[in-house]
Amino acid sequence: MVELRLPRNSTVGKGQFFPAPAGSKNVRTFKIYRWTPDDGSNPVMDAYEIDIDSIGPMVLDALIHIKNDVDPTLTFRRSCREGICGSCAMNIDGENTLACLKPIRDMQGDIIINPLPHMPIVKDLVSNLDGAYAQLRSIDPWMKADSAPPPDGERLQSPEERAKLDGMWECILCFCCTTSCPSYWWNGDRYLGPATLLAAYRWIADSRDEHQGDRLDSLEDTFKLYACRTIMNCTQTCPKGLNPAKAIGRIKELQVERKL
Amino acid sequence: MNATSPTHRTVMRSQLGRARGLGSGHSGTGHWIVERVSAASLLPLSGWFVIQMFRLGGADYEQVAKWGGKPVNATLLAALVATSFYHAEVGLQVIVDDYVHGKAHAPTKLLVKIGTGLLGLLGIVSVLKLALGRPASKG
Repeated sequence: MVELRLPRNSTVGKGQFFPAPAGSKNVRTFKIYRWTPDDGSNPVMDAYEIDIDSIGPMVLDALIHIKNDVDPTLTFRRSCREGICGSCAMNIDGENTLACLKPIRDMQGDIIINPLPHMPIVKDLVSNLDGAYAQLRSIDPWMKADSAPPPDGERLQSPEERAKLDGMWECILCFCCTTSCPSYWWNGDRYLGPATLLAAYRWIADSRDEHQGDRLDSLEDTFKLYACRTIMNCTQTCPKGLNPAKAIGRIKELQVERKL
Repeated sequence: MNATSPTHRTVMRSQLGRARGLGSGHSGTGHWIVERVSAASLLPLSGWFVIQMFRLGGADYEQVAKWGGKPVNATLLAALVATSFYHAEVGLQVIVDDYVHGKAHAPTKLLVKIGTGLLGLLGIVSVLKLALGRPASKG
């Protein structure tokens, strides 16, 4: 039934405080979600005072500084530090985004960092995305064509056909959108979520793919596709500026087109 | 929502198996269409109804019964009642999908269908009674 409260083991307590070193000038406080599976304790928010003049401009710079110089137990994912790998997706100041693309100076007051919402936690800011990855795989995110490719080259597209994929191929699968979606929080076991539906439409719209009908068939479901309530958190939060809500709308249009 | 202790797992099914689940239900588009079509239809029907109610303001029973006995009025009234409760059924199902999970989901959804269906039927029967029944003549 309806869950109005967090499970008891998820209630967040107050954590440790790490003060800024003496002589710091431009101090900001980072409050960071901490939880470890090792000792059975509840999650806490640790507070770190950081002199932001001594580090790079982005939230990821602060996290790396904390891990290197203040508290090596802090756990988070990161790799490319330039918004192309999607590893450092987390909830910063109430919005899912990439820590490497989020400037510290854009935010007022304390900077509150949580893992992506409503996913199982592995440790600290690392959420378990296995379910979301499996959902992506379930829509067969690869080209399916039965005609043989030209023997002397690749399958061709016109510039117009290629342009239809713009706004979709750029998705880096950070799942900021999927984990920002209340409908995904409610029905994440059955609703595919915006990231996966954007990927699904990326293949439906690809002129080289020959399985549009099958793809639409597999999405024709009260939950898989239609649990989208056009809340549009996905589009608002996307750190790459993409529009998953529009892609979902296009899939619905095609479903209606072949029904009416 | 933290991961539970890994010492005992009740679900060991693969993530892909869980994601594919029971597969596509091959429905949903129809529901999505009628949700919007019924909402759009309710706009003119409700507008007509509000205007009629203002026109009937202060009317006595005989006048209302005479109004309801006209075929056009009865048809539009029946259409309004049917569309309203159909829209309610379709919309409430969405709310059930969002907020009611687990074993309670299917029975709640059925109850919504039965409840809105019966209420709609009551409305239709009342309209028919008004349209087809003769108003009691005053002696």
